[in-house]
Amino acid sequence: MNAYHFGGGKARWIPYLLLLPGILLYVLIALGPSIGTTFFSFTDATGIRGAETNWVWLDNYEEFLFMGQASLDNLSALGRTLIFSFFVTTIQFALGLFIAVMVNKKLKGTNFFRTLYFMPVILGAVIQGLIWSLFLYPLGGPMAKILEFIGLSSEFLGGQPSEAFGWVIFIQIWANMGTTMIIFLAGLQTIPQEIYEAAEIDGASGWQAFKNVTWPLLTPSVNTNLLLNIIGSLQAWQLFLVLLGYRNGTQVLGYLIYAVGFGQTSGSVTSSFRQGYAAAASIVLFLLVLLLGSVTQFFLNRREKRILG
Amino acid sequence: MKTNNKSMKFFKWGQKQQLQQRTGRKPIKWGNVATYAVLIIFAIIYAGPILMLINTSLKTMPEFMKSATSIVTKLNLENFVEAWQKANFPRYLTNTILYTVSATVVFIVTAVFLAFPISRGYVKGSKIILSLFLVALFLPPALIPQFQLMLRLGLYNNPFGYVLLFTINPIGITILVNYIKTIPVELDEAAALDGCGYFRFVTMILFPLIRPAIATVAVLHAIGIWNELILPTIYLTNQDYYPITRGMIVFQGVYGSNWPTLAAAVLIMIMPMLLIFLFLQRYIISGLTQGAVKG
Repeated sequence: MNAYHFGGGKARWIPYLLLLPGILLYVLIALGPSIGTTFFSFTDATGIRGAETNWVWLDNYEEFLFMGQASLDNLSALGRTLIFSFFVTTIQFALGLFIAVMVNKKLKGTNFFRTLYFMPVILGAVIQGLIWSLFLYPLGGPMAKILEFIGLSSEFLGGQPSEAFGWVIFIQIWANMGTTMIIFLAGLQTIPQEIYEAAEIDGASGWQAFKNVTWPLLTPSVNTNLLLNIIGSLQAWQLFLVLLGYRNGTQVLGYLIYAVGFGQTSGSVTSSFRQGYAAAASIVLFLLVLLLGSVTQFFLNRREKRILG
Repeated sequence: MKTNNKSMKFFKWGQKQQLQQRTGRKPIKWGNVATYAVLIIFAIIYAGPILMLINTSLKTMPEFMKSATSIVTKLNLENFVEAWQKANFPRYLTNTILYTVSATVVFIVTAVFLAFPISRGYVKGSKIILSLFLVALFLPPALIPQFQLMLRLGLYNNPFGYVLLFTINPIGITILVNYIKTIPVELDEAAALDGCGYFRFVTMILFPLIRPAIATVAVLHAIGIWNELILPTIYLTNQDYYPITRGMIVFQGVYGSNWPTLAAAVLIMIMPMLLIFLFLQRYIISGLTQGAVKG
C-alpha cells in the first residue's frame, strides 16, 4: 500500500467515492446475480412479470436428475458436454501449442499468419457460424467438393446428430485456437534464446530441445491454457445455437439452461420460461466446472512443483 | 562520409559474393520449408471460408445455384445494396453502434477510477476488491437472476437496461490494474506536491499515460458487445431495438437460402470491427496476453 498524497480529511474520501460506481455496477450486474443463481435454483420462478414465486427446495434438482425421460435427456446433454469439452480442450490445446511454436520462428510473414489465425476470435459466434454454414453448403459448396474429390459425401450440419455435433466441435476449435496460440506465444517469448543455443551446442535435437527446454519452461501458459480451455468449452454453446438450433441429440448443458429458462425449446423439454429449474441446471453445470477445474488445478500444481522444485 | 558509406556497402557485398562462391549456392533449409507448408495449410483453413464468403457475395443467385464454388469474373455489387436495404441494416447498425459506444465509454470511465486506487492501494481492501472481480469468472452463470432483476427494475426490453449489462468486464480491470503498476508512484507524489487534486490527476495526467492499455481494453470490450447475440435475444423483444447480430439471425431466417445476399450482409457487418482490429492488432494481442498470463 502506497502513502496517499492527495490530501487528508474529507479529500481522503474522494477515491472511495469515485470507485463506488464501478463496484455498484459490478455487484448489481455480475456478482449479485451470480450468487443469486443458488437461491433461484430452490424456487419455481418463471420469466413472467408479476408471477408468484415459491420455495420448492430440492424439487428442481430431483426433477433435473432423476425424473423420467426429461432427466435422461438432461443426463445425455451432460455427457455430451463432457465429450465436447474433452475433444475441444485436447485438440485446441495441442494445435494451439504446435502453431505457436511454428509462428514463433524467426521467419518472414509469421506476423501475417498470427493475425490470420487469431481473426475468428474477433468475428464472434454469429459470423463464425454463418461463414461455416456457407463453407459447408451441402449442394456443391467447397467442403462438399473436397469430400467428393476423395469419394465421400456428407450432409454436414443437416446430417445425423453425431455428425453435426462433430462439425460444431471442429468449428469451435477453428474459432478459438487463436486465443490458445496467443497465450502460448506470450509464454514462448519469455524463454531466453541462449538456452536453445546452449542446448544446440550440447547436441540436442529439435524434439529434445522442445521436450527438455520449451515444455517445462512453458508451464505458466500451459496452466492458463488448460484451465481456460476446460472452463470455456464446458460453458460454450453459442455455436450450437447459430449452427444447429435446439436440435435433439446435439444439446449441451449451456444451451439447455438457456432454452429452458427463456423458452427457446423444441422437442422433449416442453415447458418454457422455467427459470428456477434452469437455475438448478446452471448450478449443476457450475459444479461440473468447479470439479473439473479443481482437479486440473491440483494436478497442474503438483506438476509445477515437480518441475520447478 | 557518403563515399565512405558507399565503399563500406561495396565491401560487404564483395564478402557476400565470396561466401556464395565458396559454398556454391544458398542451402535450402528444409525445416523452414516444412514450417511454411504447415502455416500455409492452416492459412487455407482459416482464410478459405472467408474467401468463399467474399466470392459468394459478388455472385448473382442463378450463378450461385449453377456452381457454388466457381470464382467470380465480374464485380456484382447488387447484393450489398439489396442486403443494406432489405435487412433493415441502417437501423440495426445504428443501434449496435449506440450500444457499443455508450457501454464502452461508461465502462472505461468507471474502470479507470476502479483500477487506479486498487493498483496503488489508495483504498482499504484493494486486494480483496480485485479478487472479488476475478472470482466472478468462476461463479455460476448470472443469467437467470440477472433477468429477474431487470424484469423487476422495469429494464426489460429497454435499451438503457441493455446497455447497463455491458458496463462491467473483470478481465479489462485486471489489464488496467497491471498496466497502472508500470506508471511510477513518484508521479503521484510530484503532482500532489504541485497542488493537483485526485480527480484532476486521474483525468488529466494518468488517463493520457495509460492510453495503450485503455485502447486494448476498450477494443476488446467493444468487440464483445458488437458480437453479442444471447443478451439481445433475451432482453430486447422490440425489433426497433435489435442490434445487428440479432438482425442477422432474423435476416438469415428470411433469406436463409439466398446465400449471395446473406454473404453480402455478413461482410457489411464484420467490416467495421475487422478494420479496427487490423489497425490495432498489435495493441490488442499484446494486451490480451498480458491479461491472460498475469491475471
